[in-house]
Amino acid sequence: MKNGCSKKKAFLSPQQEVRAPLINPFEEFRAFQFKHTEIPLDQIVRSTEVIMDQIRLGYEKLLEEEAKELVWMVQYNTIIKAYEVAEKYVKEIDYSAEDIEDFCFALETPQKVPYLIPGPAGIYISALCNYAKEEEIVLKLSELKTEINLIGFRLPRGKRLMVEGDTGDFTGIGLEGGELLVEGNTKNWTGAGMRAGKILVKKNIGLHTGEWMMGGEIYVEGRVRGLGNIVEGKVYERDKLVYPGKARFPNQYY
Amino acid sequence: MKIKMNDRKVLVVEKNGYQKQVMGIYQFISDRLYFNRPDIEIKGEAYNSAILLSLLTGLTKGKELIIGEPGLGKTTSAEFICSLVYQFPLGVIWGSEVSGHPEQTEEKIIGRPDLGKLNRGEEDVVWTNFSQVPVKIVDEINRLPETKQSMILDGVDRGNWEYLNEMIINDEYCLFATANYQDGGTNTIIAPLVDRFDVIVESRYPGANLSFLIGKSRGKDHILRHPKYEKDLYRILKSKIAYQKKIPKLEEICDAFGEHVQETLGVKPLRREDRDRIRTEMGSLDLDLDASAFARMLLAELSFCDRYGQKRIVENCEEGCHYTGYLCRQIKNCASNRLPTSIKLFSQGLAWLLGDSEIDIEHVKAVMPFALSHRVQWKDEILSQKEKAKRDDPFQIFLAKEAVKTVSQRYREQSDHLKDALALGSKIFQGESLEPLEGDHPIYTEIKKDIRHRRNH
Repeated sequence: MKNGCSKKKAFLSPQQEVRAPLINPFEEFRAFQFKHTEIPLDQIVRSTEVIMDQIRLGYEKLLEEEAKELVWMVQYNTIIKAYEVAEKYVKEIDYSAEDIEDFCFALETPQKVPYLIPGPAGIYISALCNYAKEEEIVLKLSELKTEINLIGFRLPRGKRLMVEGDTGDFTGIGLEGGELLVEGNTKNWTGAGMRAGKILVKKNIGLHTGEWMMGGEIYVEGRVRGLGNIVEGKVYERDKLVYPGKARFPNQYY
Repeated sequence: MKIKMNDRKVLVVEKNGYQKQVMGIYQFISDRLYFNRPDIEIKGEAYNSAILLSLLTGLTKGKELIIGEPGLGKTTSAEFICSLVYQFPLGVIWGSEVSGHPEQTEEKIIGRPDLGKLNRGEEDVVWTNFSQVPVKIVDEINRLPETKQSMILDGVDRGNWEYLNEMIINDEYCLFATANYQDGGTNTIIAPLVDRFDVIVESRYPGANLSFLIGKSRGKDHILRHPKYEKDLYRILKSKIAYQKKIPKLEEICDAFGEHVQETLGVKPLRREDRDRIRTEMGSLDLDLDASAFARMLLAELSFCDRYGQKRIVENCEEGCHYTGYLCRQIKNCASNRLPTSIKLFSQGLAWLLGDSEIDIEHVKAVMPFALSHRVQWKDEILSQKEKAKRDDPFQIFLAKEAVKTVSQRYREQSDHLKDALALGSKIFQGESLEPLEGDHPIYTEIKKDIRHRRNH
């Protein structure tokens, strides 16, 4: 029986037939066995990676449960429900404030976190901050390209969260007595529904500021684009009390 | 100067004694002929770079360019080394030197027609002493016009000397060339000629006190002279016998001169068989893994260009390259293939001389600046940045030493990772299905390029 393969071999070009084996330029390293000596930093890196895996897993489970089709609507009940799910996973992880910061940057790396959905991501980060061991948390996010929404959600009394950089919409909503300091700008609905505590924004703030806020104070060192329907609490712009103050319509620039 | 021998060295010295003999020559030149200060430290011992590298040049059949101010012993140091390593009396060495000047001709350097025979209608070549003797000294090479430098390229490179239709080939030869710093009468040494020198070294001022002593001690030129042997050697060099037949005759007289030197001065020059044996021993020394990985790392930095594939003198890399922090960003030209050859040759020589069984990273680091400095063309901004830096060395050697120091620091940080990457590269070359290691250095990209080539093969 004729064999196709053997026929092909017969038609090897002269060049292929005389082709010499390549010189291995790394030959002298053939027998090199790398002896890994562990330094304390290796252990730190390894444990950080384990923690980061757990945090990522919690976030992925939150998305599975709350954003099945990668769509998430910001509504009162969806926020509450997502936070409850986030709390469930976050409580089981032993992490530090640095891990939260690392997670924020991991969100921008698709190889590490495949989906960045700003709503659930913000809720999850808020849960991480609220359940962190440290009373004071600093998140250096100025290099982050995405502005994270809902940061500082339900920040409890006794916690201080400082964010270097800008944040997105719904910053500090439902604040529960904590202190939130944003070194940059915040967008719309900042401090909405907050009950107690303090929000300090070093630059400017967007529309609907303090919508349905029930207490606490918002300090803005730049400009307030517009106030929301505030029930109770105080809003200061450059040390000047703007709410309560002269009656004005929501979001109308004053 | 103190030369200590550690335990390992003593072992080798006891084996054949050549290291001791060579260090005896070093000591003799240092103490009696070439007053100097030690200027490099290798493995805790101080040496004078001009004597050490000249000695290695003679032993390894190398090529050395000696630079320095006029009158600081560039030519004389080379003459003493040649005399003691090759057993030639100084009178013959002087008579075979070529001096660089604008009127120099091929006939004075290589050979001329035999005029007597030419009158009889026969064509024959009278070879110059320079082309025949194994020790070649070109004095003030940068006074040769650039067009005339090309004449000696082939001879310098391979030991082939060609005139009319005849050629002689030097089986054993070494070359020393001296160059003054730029002045009104000097020319630039052309790049292909510069590249052919294995090392460059400065013959330095020994300091006011030693210099004063040199002024007082006269006649040191005469201690390595012997008019009778010189006359005999000249007679053989001028004779009409075939070049290959002249060599054993020359060696016979050289041996006699060597014995005379040993008897009168107490220093034992090297005979031809000693030199051959030494070279065989040197040739058996290999680079250890660190020395090899470090040399590869340096070569990668001196040849790599992420944008254009390799360094080329006609292409200037742009701002914003990822590899901005590496040497490739600071230099204009690409490292030649002669650079690793020179590094290995002189590292072998140094490791042998120190009695070590392998070439380690210390040998390589000691040799590299001298093999590198004349071959690298730095960008103007780097020259202007570092020109005024405090230093002991000539600017080019200083820059090369700094570069080696920087790469050495980088190597310390990632030596294990690099060796791992090279070992993995070897495994991939043997056919294992693995992925090359990533790393932030041009060498990792070079490894990947080699592996890609293997996979496409």
